[in-house]
Amino acid sequence: MKALYKILAAIAAAAALCGCHHIDEYENDNRGNFEALWTALDEHYCFFKEKGVDWDEVHDRYAARVYPKMQRRAFFNLCAEMLDELRDGHTNLSAPFATSYYRGWWSGYPQNYDARLIQQHYLNFKYFSLGAVDYGMLLNNIGYMHYSSFSSSLGEGNMDYIMVYFAGADGLIIDVRDNGGGDLTNVEMFVNRFIDKKTLAGYMQHKTGPGHDDFSRPEPFYYYPAGSSHFGWAKPVVVLTNRSTFSAANNFVSIMKYIPGVTIIGATTGGGSGMPYSSELPNGWGVRFSACPILDAKGNPTEFGVEPTEGFAVDMDPLDALQGHDTILDKAIEFLTSSI
Amino acid sequence: MSKRRILTVLLTASAVWLPAALRADDGETVRPVFSAYTLEAGSAHIADTYLTPLKYNGQHFGIDYQRWQAMKFDPQRWVMQLDTRLTLNHTVNPAGNATMWDAMLEFRWGMMRRWRLPQGFSAGIGGSASINGGALYLGRNGNNPVSAKAAFTVNATGYAAWNGTVLGRPLTLRYQPVLPVAGVFFSPDYGELYYEIYLGNHSGLAHFAWWGNYFMLDNHLTADLSLGATSLRLGYSGRIFSSKVNDIVTHVFTHAFVVGISGEWMSLNPRKGISADARIISATY
Repeated sequence: MKALYKILAAIAAAAALCGCHHIDEYENDNRGNFEALWTALDEHYCFFKEKGVDWDEVHDRYAARVYPKMQRRAFFNLCAEMLDELRDGHTNLSAPFATSYYRGWWSGYPQNYDARLIQQHYLNFKYFSLGAVDYGMLLNNIGYMHYSSFSSSLGEGNMDYIMVYFAGADGLIIDVRDNGGGDLTNVEMFVNRFIDKKTLAGYMQHKTGPGHDDFSRPEPFYYYPAGSSHFGWAKPVVVLTNRSTFSAANNFVSIMKYIPGVTIIGATTGGGSGMPYSSELPNGWGVRFSACPILDAKGNPTEFGVEPTEGFAVDMDPLDALQGHDTILDKAIEFLTSSI
Repeated sequence: MSKRRILTVLLTASAVWLPAALRADDGETVRPVFSAYTLEAGSAHIADTYLTPLKYNGQHFGIDYQRWQAMKFDPQRWVMQLDTRLTLNHTVNPAGNATMWDAMLEFRWGMMRRWRLPQGFSAGIGGSASINGGALYLGRNGNNPVSAKAAFTVNATGYAAWNGTVLGRPLTLRYQPVLPVAGVFFSPDYGELYYEIYLGNHSGLAHFAWWGNYFMLDNHLTADLSLGATSLRLGYSGRIFSSKVNDIVTHVFTHAFVVGISGEWMSLNPRKGISADARIISATY
């Protein structure tokens, strides 16, 4: 009987320990939803320090503006305004009637890209389209491809066809202007065509706890060549960038920049190096925010963008554009032609 | 002793005991196999802070196979139990605009020392080893839609049963709790995405389980009402699960009604038959 009491006592103790696994709950009202949103960011967002944001101060400032009878859209706008304090293109609040975006990361910069101009004046509308890739040959035997989104994947076979098409070209221009990102696995598959050995692609970190400074040691990650059964590229490459080269495309540029024979021409990219994490509020709204920083192969943060190769920062000249010229593309053609 | 060595010893023990336990006896003792096939349906209450800070509620479904047999080395006192279970939970968030699925597959094998008590009562106490794996899936999340679960645990278990007759038909009532005591379980770090694991960071994924960070209590209450060769099994199955590791808290609470069939089967050699003085030792009474 004594043994039975001991077992029952142990189970009761275990149940008590289990009770320690507490999860905070918030009311489904404006105050509760505000606190749930602020806390999700407080515990998971990864760039408070880099951006110099005092999140506690932000809480106090915005909490004072929350009141119970606030209309839904007004409350949404207030929350979106609070998220904008982070100046982060990866941070969005999603309600059934709208999704918030911080647009400041690109709105204050020249666009530096006009797809129609290239299609008309450089390719004479004679180019191929495959998924998110438009590709064709330019004058001077230079290949050109525009990859508009890494959300769209190409198969290895598709990539082989493109590489074979460019096999006779003397140089290749990869245009990722206005590429807003997508899946990093597509970046990996693409980069693998331009490396001939195991290559350090960068470092990744994650939060190890809810504290603002709780981060893991940067963990290196590597990309590997596509392999002998696929077609790769070993001739000169130029990557074209603008401010709207963001997220996975920003990551693509940060990797390509350190590959021998690759030159980055254009404007500093838009950043977005924190892999987004999702959460939700009691009212059902979703929230997405940067959670896992990715550093480049030299351990540098790329949240604020990747600069072009030294001496190759170029903006499009509007007057050139009126004459049917893309200043950035012209610079790339000139560079490749002179270096071949 | 290292974790790998402990695992090797346990697996070897299972490999030695299982064949001996499952085959029919060739001597004076026959050990029938008691099997139960059941379906279960009920409610589920889930939370996993890796996916969401909200608590989801919905339905629980499951299918279960149990096998009991007296052990060959001491059939009067020792019985073994094999349990295979597949469960599926379908839950929605409080706002009703997101769905979370939870699928889990489990295997458990154990032995219990039993005592036959007066008035048709019997009881047993023992231990078991179990392995489970599955995942919670929240489709609305972009880079963190899945929370994978896997564990190997050593459990304390026991049962209390009553064999009697109701309305002229044999009836067996049984209550069995299962309580993991220690083991190893999988969890990513607090904010670690599975993409980072895919890229090769496999450090810190296995955690030692104890009641402070991994608590699970299964409760099974069943009634087997004989219908002749087979029995109708009705009952209740409930689970309380709570884990906390790397500041990730997971709760899974389920309550389910159980229905199925059960019965005892003997595996005999038709050429040898069964001797008149053979002892038939049931695992359940």
